Amino acid sequence: MPKRVSFDRWLFITTLLLIFIGLVMIFSASAVMAKERFGSPYGFLLRQLVGAAIGLALMALTMHIDYKRWKSPAAVFSLMGVTTLLLISVFFLDRAHHTHRWFRFGPISFQPSELAKPAIILFLAYFLATRVKTMTDARNTLLPAVAPTLMFVCLIVFQPDLGTALACLGITACVLFIAGAPLQYFGFSFVFSLLPLYFLIWKFPYRMARITAFMHPDRDRLGAAFHINQSLIAVATGGMGGKGLMEGKQKLFYLPEPHTDFIFAVIAEEFGLLGSMLVVALFAIFLWRGARVVFRTQDPFGRYLAAGITSMIALQAFINVSVVLGMMPTKGIPLPLVSYGGSSLVVTLASIGVLLNISRQTE
Amino acid sequence: MATNSFHNSAQKRLLAMGGVFVLWTLAVVFRLVNLQIFQYRDYSDREAKQHDRYIPLAAKRGTIYDRLGHELAASVMVESAFIVPGEAPDLASAVSLVTGITGDDPHVALANCQSGKTFCWVARKADAETIQRIRNLNLRGIHFQREPKRYYPQKELAAQLLGYVGDDQGLSGIERLYEEQLQGQPGAMVISVDARKHWYNRTETEGEPGSNIVLTIDEYIQYVAERELERAIQETHAIAGTVIVMNPRTGEVLALANWPTFNPNRRKAITNEGLKNRAVSDIYEPGSTFKVVTVAAALEEKVTKPDEIFDCQMGKIVIDKVTIHDHKPFGLMPVSDIIAHSSDVGAIKIAMRLGDQRFYKYIRLFGFGQPTGVELPAETRGMTKPVERWSHMSLAAIAMGQEIGVSPIQLAAMMSSIANDGVWLPPHVVAGTVEPKNSPQQIMFHPSEGRRVLSPVTAAQMRQMLQGVVLHGTAPKAILEGYSSAGKTGTAQKLDPATGTYSKTKYVGSFAGFAPVNNPALTVAVILDSAQGLHQGGQVAAPVFQRIMQQVLEYQHVAHDVEISPDRKLLLARRNAKTGDVAEDSPDHLGATLVAAETPDHVSSAVARTPVIATKMQPAANHWQEKEEEVRPLGEPTVPLTAPATKLAGTVVFDQESVEVPSLVGKSLRAALEISSAGGFDLEPMGTVGVVKEQAPPAGSRAPAGSRVVVRLGK
Repeated sequence: MPKRVSFDRWLFITTLLLIFIGLVMIFSASAVMAKERFGSPYGFLLRQLVGAAIGLALMALTMHIDYKRWKSPAAVFSLMGVTTLLLISVFFLDRAHHTHRWFRFGPISFQPSELAKPAIILFLAYFLATRVKTMTDARNTLLPAVAPTLMFVCLIVFQPDLGTALACLGITACVLFIAGAPLQYFGFSFVFSLLPLYFLIWKFPYRMARITAFMHPDRDRLGAAFHINQSLIAVATGGMGGKGLMEGKQKLFYLPEPHTDFIFAVIAEEFGLLGSMLVVALFAIFLWRGARVVFRTQDPFGRYLAAGITSMIALQAFINVSVVLGMMPTKGIPLPLVSYGGSSLVVTLASIGVLLNISRQTE
Repeated sequence: MATNSFHNSAQKRLLAMGGVFVLWTLAVVFRLVNLQIFQYRDYSDREAKQHDRYIPLAAKRGTIYDRLGHELAASVMVESAFIVPGEAPDLASAVSLVTGITGDDPHVALANCQSGKTFCWVARKADAETIQRIRNLNLRGIHFQREPKRYYPQKELAAQLLGYVGDDQGLSGIERLYEEQLQGQPGAMVISVDARKHWYNRTETEGEPGSNIVLTIDEYIQYVAERELERAIQETHAIAGTVIVMNPRTGEVLALANWPTFNPNRRKAITNEGLKNRAVSDIYEPGSTFKVVTVAAALEEKVTKPDEIFDCQMGKIVIDKVTIHDHKPFGLMPVSDIIAHSSDVGAIKIAMRLGDQRFYKYIRLFGFGQPTGVELPAETRGMTKPVERWSHMSLAAIAMGQEIGVSPIQLAAMMSSIANDGVWLPPHVVAGTVEPKNSPQQIMFHPSEGRRVLSPVTAAQMRQMLQGVVLHGTAPKAILEGYSSAGKTGTAQKLDPATGTYSKTKYVGSFAGFAPVNNPALTVAVILDSAQGLHQGGQVAAPVFQRIMQQVLEYQHVAHDVEISPDRKLLLARRNAKTGDVAEDSPDHLGATLVAAETPDHVSSAVARTPVIATKMQPAANHWQEKEEEVRPLGEPTVPLTAPATKLAGTVVFDQESVEVPSLVGKSLRAALEISSAGGFDLEPMGTVGVVKEQAPPAGSRAPAGSRVVVRLGK
């Protein structure tokens, strides 16, 4: 029996700090926009506060529920079922702007694709924990493990939300890698994914434009490369110490989505190198403590679950920061815990609660 | 444990993954440092470029003062309106509403606004009423900004000399030449706009006001010159004219008037003809006035004497198979009469003694063929053929003022050098620049280094001969009341550009002269282009000379050197008694000389409203008192002198916050010290015995508190 230890305080504090930073920066980044949209500069902040409250409550709950209780077909398959159902029904319920991402119930809206990430992680952990000895078996282990991910990815891609879809694939790859899937399969899947990627990018001009903008940020500064250039301007003009809270200028409609996908640019602009380094450091600490939980957990289900949750947050964080810094093409992935978005925050916090619970049961 | 090997590989994988994230973190950190530290400046520039619109705002332009500190050109703050198109809900209707008030073309204004996008002026430097009406529209997106506007309080006065200002830039005259000093450091309005072209911030940086310029011009003398020029134009129907009034001792130009003229306050009505500063940019054939050069050169080279008799061959001479006729047949005449009666034949014969080379040397010495360097743009150097290219005819033609082109300012400078004992001085219109500070400042005008052309003896001989022109020659109309005067007439046929021959109907009549003869205080040159009817210099230009000279000499309190006959004195006294109600067209010109008569409408009423008081005046001339003693006034002064004339020539007392200088003349040194220290002045006595004989600056003039008053003591 693993001895009962206290949960990982580093993870806990890092999480709270990131949420706090997020709330402050959401207000700073969205005040002008919120005033325009809701008539009050606190519009986005209040919504995020609600999300944070629900998320923290859920986190408090999940960190006190023994994670092994999730290791039951009832839990795994009901989560999978609900996610599938929501992902399918979102096509019929939400037709706004030709995208199908949100459920809206009055003031509350929910993004089911956010639920797909923990569903995949839970499924993978549950399934792979039963296949520890046959990890090299492609037909009986790997294909069944990947199948639900592929199904979700397909549904999400056609919302369309390529960013979340890629995040799901990345999380799956991470868990499989930690679980010990043979390396050659990663190579195979990469080669096989090229064809659909080709269609998904080359056939959609706006995605193609993002790629070209990434390759040649100076070519079309007012057109396709506008967003990435605005992001770089925001980051670079932050300088060493930044312009100060609320003093950023790029959020005045130059930055796309300053409170969601490009919130890191606002942080970098207003708090400079010191502020952006702090945020990067917090995510690095989270990654380190998450990896430490993985490392110290003997139970395969706990390991995979911890690996999935940690990689979910770290992957999204690093991809988001890389996009803001022009190191990757634009994708539409938020900065976990910091970016505006209730669904993401609630789901992420609930997952972290599970991770914290695992951390209590390490050796 | 059985899973030991599995664990090892899992740990390796975990480490590998950790390694990937470490590398990723490092890459992010490098990128951040690179962007935020090393590319900070580049991106800041790009940020400023897209956020900030710089709208340059002219600084307050320096004031142009006359020599007594009267404002001739000043800037006042007015308001401009501009539109931020991104903020206006309905740009087209906003623009049309505003243009409805300003009277501009709405289509042009709208096109401007749409191409400008973030900012465009709709009413630039408008008057208060227009701005108020625009303000009352209460339209969103319309904002206001204060800007300096140029204003010429004296309207047409010295228009070509001052020039005018376009939106923010001097376009002619002093305004153009001194653009750099006058404009100062422009400020800017920075409008910061968001990506939707709405502005969110506006900052203004004020410019550094430009330097003030003090001219040598005297507002009153300028006014007199313009008034008399306009009168002459009306009487003679000349198409254009120029008057220059100079102090021959210092080269200061006291007035420089041109006709036609313009009102620089009404930019839209300005014509090219009005803008032309004929005094410096016109080239004309001087005609007989140029005989002064011929004769002066001959005297200086000692090839003739004033009383040498020449045979004027009954007005006929054949040069290179061309016969030249005098305007009337002259027989045997001394050189002085050749000047007085303006004999072409005589002048040619004198020039022939000189020869090409020597004659040419004097032409250049007198400043012809090169700009005088007066502080005005577009000065011509005239047209002077180099001596190598002279034909057989040239010497004769130039001797009588043909085949050579001069500018009025060159003529005035030449005549001034005769008056100035043979020293040619470059003319100046600018006394100096003054920093726009509130502290009092005094500037001194320092005459430029002169160039001796004639010996004082030759110059004196020339003055005597030129007095003959007035006394018994071609210019009896240049006789002054109470002053001796001298000068030379000129009547040049205009070269008809169509035929290339001399016109039989168009003449340039001119007169250039100085007074008083033995101690000249002023030079006046008058040039009238294409007078109709009477056209000779002695008939059309000499009366203008007379009227201006008489008034300005009186104004400057130059001591009379000619006895005024008793009945004249009576007349004068009567005129003085009823100042102001003298008929303008009185056949007797004396009246007009003593009173500032009715102001013609076009000339500023400000001059008339605030008559220049004698106590405020600063005599520009009247120096070399030592000499003056020899020719002491023959008659008593008709106007009591309120201030003794100063010997320190060329002082421009310029007052920005100044005090009146107390009168110290007649006081002992001790009393003078007490008075001056009570008035806040520093006394600098010259000599120690006796009482104060003279002082500078003069009593009644204004000088900065704490400045120095120089007094000369004597017995």
